[in-house]
Formats: sequence, C-alpha cells, structure tokens
Amino acid sequence: MTKKKRSLEDVTALSEPIATEEATPVSDIRTNLEEIKTWDGVIGYILRNTTSAAIDLKDPTKIIDYAILSSSALEASEELCKLFNLGKVKDIIVEGKDTKVLSLTVEENRISIFLEKHADHEKVLKKLL
Amino acid sequence: MDNEIYSFAIKSALDEIRNVCPDITSTFMFKENGEMIIGDEKTPEKTMVQVVDAFDGVFEKANAIGHVECITVDGSNGRVNISCLNDLYFVTVTSRKADINYVNTITRVLIPTILRLLERINPAPLKNNPVLPEIKPNARVSLPMETEEAVTETDEETEIEKPEEKEPEIKPEPLLPEPPVNQLIVENLGGLLVPSDTVRIDNVILSQWEELYQGKKIEEVEIETFDGKSTKCKVKPIKDSKYEGKGMVQMPEKIQLALEIKKGELVRAKPIVE
Repeated sequence: MTKKKRSLEDVTALSEPIATEEATPVSDIRTNLEEIKTWDGVIGYILRNTTSAAIDLKDPTKIIDYAILSSSALEASEELCKLFNLGKVKDIIVEGKDTKVLSLTVEENRISIFLEKHADHEKVLKKLL
Repeated sequence: MDNEIYSFAIKSALDEIRNVCPDITSTFMFKENGEMIIGDEKTPEKTMVQVVDAFDGVFEKANAIGHVECITVDGSNGRVNISCLNDLYFVTVTSRKADINYVNTITRVLIPTILRLLERINPAPLKNNPVLPEIKPNARVSLPMETEEAVTETDEETEIEKPEEKEPEIKPEPLLPEPPVNQLIVENLGGLLVPSDTVRIDNVILSQWEELYQGKKIEEVEIETFDGKSTKCKVKPIKDSKYEGKGMVQMPEKIQLALEIKKGELVRAKPIVE
C-alpha cells in the first residue's frame, strides 16, 4: 500500500509542473492575440498547435484560404532556412496587395496574424515575442 | 537583343550586387509560373528550383491576400526577401549582420533600374522564350562578311554600284532563324501507353516555335541538361491542364535516366527543324 501511495505521489509531483509549463504559454499567447485583434488594421489570427486550433477572423469565408496560405508560408520558410542555412525560422511576412500575413512559431504553437497593408506588424511581433 | 544577352546583363548585375554587398549570399530571379530566369554565379540551379517549388503553394493561395508583393523570411542566421517586380520575383538572401537598409537600397533601386533599362533597349518581356529578331522578307537574305567587305572595297576603288548589281550576290533561299532555347522544369511522365521516346511540352511554347518557323510542325526537340548532356526526342503537347503554362517538360523515365536528371531539375529545350 505504502509503495503504491508513493508512486502515485511521484506521478502527481512529476505531472503538475509539466501541465503548468504547457498551459501558460498557450493561454498567454491567446490573451495577447485577443488584445492584438482589437488593434487597428488587424483582421484576425490563427493559432495552432499539435492538440488544438483557434481561429478568429473577421471574414469567415476566408478561413480555409488563409489557413492554407499561412501553413504553406511556414513550411516554405522552413525549407528556405534549410536550403540557405539560415538557422531557425523566426518569422515570415507575406505581403499582398491588400493584406499581409505575419506567421511565426512560438514553441509548438504556430501563429498567423492577418493584417491590413498599413498595419504595423513590428508592433505585433514585439507583443508576441 | 536576344535572351542570352538579356540574361547576361541580369546575371552580371546580380554578381556585381554580391560584390558590392558581400552580406548578400545569394540572389536570383524567377517568373511566377515557376520558369527560372537567372541567378548569380554562386547560387546552384537546383537550389533555385527548390525555392520556387517551396513557394508554389504560397503563390497558389496568395489570391486571398491580393497576390504576393513581398515575402520576408527572418531566420536566426539570416534573412530571405522575395519581392515582386512586374511578373518577376527577385530573391535576395542576406546574412544576419547585413545592413537591411543598404541591401534594400541596392536591390530595390538597382534591379528595377536595370530591368527598366533593358526593357527600354528592347521592349520585350524578360522570359526564357528568346526574343527573336523580326524576320522581314527582304531581311531574310544575309550577306557574308567577306562579301560586304568586298563590296566596300570595290566602292572605294570604283564608282558607286547600283543596287541591282548586288542582286546576284544575294542568296535567294530564306535562312531559318536560330532555334529558340527554353528553360523548362522536368516533370514525370508515366503510364502504360506513354512512348518512351517522346516528351511533352506546353502547347503555347510549341505554337510559338511553329509560328517562328512559318507554321512548320515541330516534331522533335533537343533536350540539354546543365551538365552538358543532351538528347534528341519526339515532342507532343502537354495533355494535363495542371502543367500548362508552368514552364514544364513532361519526360518519361527512360529519357530522365539517359540524361541523368530527375523531376524538378531544369533543362534546356530547343526545337529541331530540318
């Protein structure tokens, strides 16, 4: 009995900090993204990790296109960094005629923020890093 | 100005940019349809093709943001910038310590200026389909250099000859224009009924070639790799619409093996006209 109790305590002791470590950044990121979304020129965001995804866009009809674009951009940037030995991808900005997308990876979380052309992406980047 | 000179001008400019700014580690240009244009001497063709492939999905989905104008990838050891100049994408890879303002001043001013200049010298699109000189009926005849010199010498010694007297020296048979060279990306071609000696090329390119040779049907092409290997094979237009207009050549495995190339690599193709 004593042995069983000890092992259970060990599990609890081990699992607690891990759970805290994982939960904090994601919730922090989401809080930051919610704040960023209120800023001028911000269209919305996509936050994804291995277990969940959160999408908040003003125009829901563009969700699929935006999701594919941001995912392709992150994959392409990783490929590019490998090809030219640029190390780890910090961020990628894809600017179109009307809109721009800022994508980055924070730990396991892939973040894409969609902005109007005039919006300050540097400010967004500072807030997230 | 033909395409080779055009490419040479751009290539020289890219090399010079790297000399002026050593923090630029690589520069090259490509067309939106994936057709390669030109790169500096230190950037391998293979790398350029891989970059174009990597961004294919981004360009495809860029309609959602109103087409790509600029892409910036920030890595821990450097940065890549892809900027759109008309229908061309200009790629600059810089080291981490590079002064971005200086790099931008050089690339965003110099390259558009050179392109504008080339456009003004010869207002033809910068593409791999070479710009061939317009062949007028009278201009088809060519006087060999020796003949021209001989005429000049005669002019100096005697009175001015009448134009009609030159006629016997003119060859009446029209000369065929130099075969155009197109750079194309290799794509696999397979299936049970696919002949192993035939490649498939974009119908637009075949039409351009046929137009150039006054409607003569192009049935054979010469494919040359950048390693210098070449082969002659039959040619037919691409059937699959998804490969149209993308600067691709569909090639059976047998030809790929003979040329020691594979899917995604770049080759040169030119028509064979007898």
